[in-house]
Amino acid sequence: MEFLASTALYNILRGPLVWLAFLVFIGGSSYKLYTLIDLAKKDKVIFPFISLKATLKSLFHWVIPFGSRNWRLRPVMTSVTFLFHICLVFTPIFLLSHNILWHESWGISWWSLPENIADIMTLIVIFTCIFFFLRRILIPEVKFVTFSSDYILLAISFLPFLTGFFAYHQWVLPHKAMVNLHILFGEVMLIAIPFTRLGHMFYFFLTRSWMGSNFAMWHTRDW
Amino acid sequence: MAVKNAAKEAVKEKVVSREFKEYVRDVIPDKGLDETIARLTPEKIEKTIKAVIGGRSSRIKAVMNTCIHCGLCAEACQWYLSYDKDPTYAPVAKMRMTIWEMIKRDGKVDAEFIKQCARIVFTECNICHRCSMYCPYGLDITFIIGMVRRICFLLGVIPQSQLDQAQAHIVTLNQVWLSQNDWIDAVQFIEEESGADYIDLRIPIDNEGAEVMFLPLGAEPKTGTYHIERTAKIMLVAGVNWTVPGKDVWDSSSMSMFVRDFFTMQRIVRGLYENAARLRIKTMMLTE
Repeated sequence: MEFLASTALYNILRGPLVWLAFLVFIGGSSYKLYTLIDLAKKDKVIFPFISLKATLKSLFHWVIPFGSRNWRLRPVMTSVTFLFHICLVFTPIFLLSHNILWHESWGISWWSLPENIADIMTLIVIFTCIFFFLRRILIPEVKFVTFSSDYILLAISFLPFLTGFFAYHQWVLPHKAMVNLHILFGEVMLIAIPFTRLGHMFYFFLTRSWMGSNFAMWHTRDW
Repeated sequence: MAVKNAAKEAVKEKVVSREFKEYVRDVIPDKGLDETIARLTPEKIEKTIKAVIGGRSSRIKAVMNTCIHCGLCAEACQWYLSYDKDPTYAPVAKMRMTIWEMIKRDGKVDAEFIKQCARIVFTECNICHRCSMYCPYGLDITFIIGMVRRICFLLGVIPQSQLDQAQAHIVTLNQVWLSQNDWIDAVQFIEEESGADYIDLRIPIDNEGAEVMFLPLGAEPKTGTYHIERTAKIMLVAGVNWTVPGKDVWDSSSMSMFVRDFFTMQRIVRGLYENAARLRIKTMMLTE
């Protein structure tokens, strides 16, 4: 516990490991995307069929809530998944405390969310993660294709927000220990993205492009 | 009494998968699946799987690295819906039970597993692409099922009726074992028979420079001759300058596509276009 709350650990997490995490996240994701696109070029039947217009149309219908038929068929899942993803992506970027860290290190800053709103958004991530967990164990078709890796991915997204929430409210563990844990889990998440199926945040655009273009070719829609 | 019980037992007998306890199906004897697996050896299976999906293509990688196992594709599948939402009929479940397992075990699966895969991909999926319309990422699940079909095809494990049609295409480039002679004979017979209704009715064979080339399905000249007759009547009344090809390929269906026999698929399409180029026609009209 002493080590967990120690300044030494904080310095490592806040110093070299942040660099490592961001380098792996940006470098790894770029490399993964580049190799997949390069591989697609070798698969001669992909690029000739890609259409920018169809890609944008397909993306447009799937990134807005209730914009596609399947989103409309499942209102609960749609609301939950959109809330989850919006809060997951935007809370860390626009959180005041994170902004202060950027300012302290590099002297840069941008808009910040009001603290109480950020707090609610964090809670949304926590509860939607619980929803996804329950879905995994309760719904038969989801349960049948659930592996331990799915729980690990869920935990990777869940823990930074849980520890962040606790750190902010100074609950459960001493503040310093909780902050250290929070930074650690955040870095784990960033490092995990390129190497796990969390990479869907990038692959999403590629796979939609392929299917949207195909469906446009067949004169139908994929939303 | 004992016989009666035995009969009852036989009816109740089910196929339960060794790997997936949830996969329970009726026993359906099929030569193409039951007998062909006797020819397989572990080496053969591994070699075939690696040949098809070993060097992961971009489309396989994209699906494997993106699918978050959310199950949202299930609702799209007519098999899933018509079997009371049995989770083993969901598209993602079909990937799980076939290609994920092959990849996980690095191609080291046995003949019984290949038979189970063949049953799943050939008889429980219509490769209709609806799951891709429901998948939030638009993953090409059908492509994956197609790859498993190809593995089964190369191993010779295919439902017998499907194997027969695929072989008909390999040999005759149509699905009904019709030779070129039979085809021309059938067309002339239809023309002759229809003379009773329309004296001017003609089915022009190899009419160079025609506007429309009609390409029927294989079954039309064989068992549904009235389809061609009606097409001819419509063309006559509409006054269209049309033709049917006198040479192979004239069957617009491709049973080879359903087993992912790429080589024959290519021969069929090339044959259709070669006929179109040879006769300098403007439009190809296909039966659907």
